[in-house]
Amino acid sequence: MSGIATPGDPEIPDYGDASRCVIDNGVFCTDWFVQQWPEVFQPALLEHVVMTVVAVAVGFAISFIAAVLAYRRAWLSSPFGAVATFLYTLPPLALFQLLVPVTGLTMVTVEIALVCFTLVILFRAVLAGLLGVPDDAKRAARGMGLDSGQILRMVELPLAIPSIISGLRVATVLTVSIATIAAFVVDAGLGSPILKAISSPFNTQFIGAGALAVLLAFVLDGLLALVGRALTTWTRAKV
Amino acid sequence: MNESQHRTTGPERTERSVSITFDRATKIYPGSETPALDALSLTVEAGELLCLVGPSGGGKTTALMLINRLIDLTSGDIRIGETSITDIGAIELRRKTGYAIQQTGLFPHMTVAQNIAVVPRILGWSAARIDARTDELLELVGLTPTAQWRARYPGQLSGGQQQRVGIARALAADPPLMLMDEPFGALDPITRTAVQDEFLAIHRAVGKTTVFVTHDIDEAIKMGDKIAVLRPGGLLAQLGPPEDLLAEPADDFVASFLGAERGLKRLGLYRLGDLAGEQREPLPDWPRLPAGMTAREALSCATAERADGVIVADGETPERAVPVARLLQPEVSEGAA
Amino acid sequence: MEAFVDAFAFMADNAGMLLDKTGEQLWLSAVAIGISLLIGVPVGLWLGHIHKGEFLAVSLTNIGRALPSLALIAIFIGLVGIGFTNVLLALVILAVPPIMSYTFVAIDSVDRDLTRAGRGMGLSPWQILLRIEIPLGLPMAFSGIRTAVVLVVSSATLATVAGGGGLGDIILNQVAYGMRGVIAAALWVAALSILADLLVAGLLRLIAPAGVRRLAAPSTSAPAAT
Repeated sequence: MSGIATPGDPEIPDYGDASRCVIDNGVFCTDWFVQQWPEVFQPALLEHVVMTVVAVAVGFAISFIAAVLAYRRAWLSSPFGAVATFLYTLPPLALFQLLVPVTGLTMVTVEIALVCFTLVILFRAVLAGLLGVPDDAKRAARGMGLDSGQILRMVELPLAIPSIISGLRVATVLTVSIATIAAFVVDAGLGSPILKAISSPFNTQFIGAGALAVLLAFVLDGLLALVGRALTTWTRAKV
Repeated sequence: MNESQHRTTGPERTERSVSITFDRATKIYPGSETPALDALSLTVEAGELLCLVGPSGGGKTTALMLINRLIDLTSGDIRIGETSITDIGAIELRRKTGYAIQQTGLFPHMTVAQNIAVVPRILGWSAARIDARTDELLELVGLTPTAQWRARYPGQLSGGQQQRVGIARALAADPPLMLMDEPFGALDPITRTAVQDEFLAIHRAVGKTTVFVTHDIDEAIKMGDKIAVLRPGGLLAQLGPPEDLLAEPADDFVASFLGAERGLKRLGLYRLGDLAGEQREPLPDWPRLPAGMTAREALSCATAERADGVIVADGETPERAVPVARLLQPEVSEGAA
Repeated sequence: MEAFVDAFAFMADNAGMLLDKTGEQLWLSAVAIGISLLIGVPVGLWLGHIHKGEFLAVSLTNIGRALPSLALIAIFIGLVGIGFTNVLLALVILAVPPIMSYTFVAIDSVDRDLTRAGRGMGLSPWQILLRIEIPLGLPMAFSGIRTAVVLVVSSATLATVAGGGGLGDIILNQVAYGMRGVIAAALWVAALSILADLLVAGLLRLIAPAGVRRLAAPSTSAPAAT
């Protein structure tokens, strides 16, 4: 983990022929961007997607189990919530660095940290969704002879989906954002071109990467929203 | 037993219908000193519709929830048929009991058909059988054409329609007994009347043993084959058919619960068509009313027109005159012209 | 772990420097928060009071969350150059969305029956804002401020990337300070962040009238799911 040299004069990275825009270090040189897509931006984007998806998936798995447990035993929700909130409040960079001595400069470190930031959001979303199930539906379900596993599967979880999807969206967007900082630990993801370009600020490189990160966040958010809509047809049934 | 004709206590009792017996059933909630239900003993005969009425704190919902073991007895026993409920697993018991509540508890994320199919699916019925049963039930509760209603979501239904689906869902697995907890309480008066009539017709058709909790004494009189009045403290004040209660309330509590108009309410149990009349020539100029009208309504009409009686004109039997005195004592004059 | 134990030794040895860096970071954060409050709160209050601009509030929240702080800082290096101003701009852009949108929701969602009662009693719109909407909206507005504060203090750690100083100088300079230094600074900044969060929470309890404190509001700086 080397120190970050403070930015000096722009050094145009020598990636081949330089157009007028590139030489002048314009705000965004489309030609250069397109040229570098396959080698720089596409791999970074894909790495970023993988990082995000893994973190959210693992975070969701943990939070889901924790939330179902807290749903059954109410006293658990405070401790879980407190720990998760604490983890969320830590500055990402600090958490990364604190993990490095333990798990090294690896993707594992990155993923552990990213997962930590998703926990409080997802835990609260799942729990709130379950708690929001109408009481009469639960009472009727019990009276009909559904056991608690059946009630959870057939009634409570489906009705909790809107809240869960909402939480997944927030967590995903946040993770995409924080994952840019992962580049300080591991040379992967969209943070990497940003970091590399900082010491010799070449605008297109980090504006391109930054814009990609924002776009990625919106795309994933939109995808999750669509999934949510598909799973909740009943909320849109016309009266 | 002197019963008015419209109340049939003898629909075909399907073999699947069972009796329910409370045997000194007592429930004391933890942290409470007084019992919610105090040594209740009564029997609901197979195929009978018993209305449990009483003010709040009377223990009627408690009694209902004890039957399908949503709460457990403190002491005493409840038997379904000959079997104690403690000998049947709670979940199994509930799957064999139709349960309908005031807020319906329909699952918002499932269609009407899916709601109805919940218990049958768990019981392993084939898809074809469930389909047929769903259609049968929707017709029974008056939601036709069934194809149109199956795919609707509860959020798209009115209150009355939701209650009907709730009843259909409770009947889905053809349970031998039905428990209903103030099912029509949230409906507006017009819808409530319609659904009550609907349910009475259903009850006559399927004849299931039903325990029906309500705080509305008029609903109990209308619906019940028998009424059990519970007083605060969970004690049984009186049990009997509506006409018996109205004619001879056991004590002041029951009398006041029945209301000051219980005399008139009793008249509502009798139909004009059942009352003996007089063939008079010429017929007096009294209001002409159909035979299906109740004695109480007839009395009201006579009063409105300041007449001394009414004429029963139902188009089939020759018209006869029924004086007010006969309307006031319908049980004496019962026996048709 | 050895490195962690060492870190405390480092803290003891270098308390002065750590405090200096902390001061830099806090100053940067404070200015950023101050500016963001000046921008975000009035706009949020006004829009909430007139009950317009919900779409804006929702979009802001989404966009704000999606902006990677690192990318922002990097972009501003290109536009503004390095130094304090650069990072300040980036931090303000990060902080304004939660402050503005939470303040908006806080005021917008005050029970209309209450404001109607106020109008009926003859309160002017200004008085309604001051006497009814703001006190009732305090918990939610503070939730937004809390979110922004944690975000700013946290992101200010990256200021080092643009020459903005702060504890990031140490965290990202293992060469100069060794792993023990990095850990020390990381622990320090983590504590700083938590303290900032608690401070804002404490501030709310001080300011809010007792009846308001009991109203349901998100009780931490972590975002609600909706």
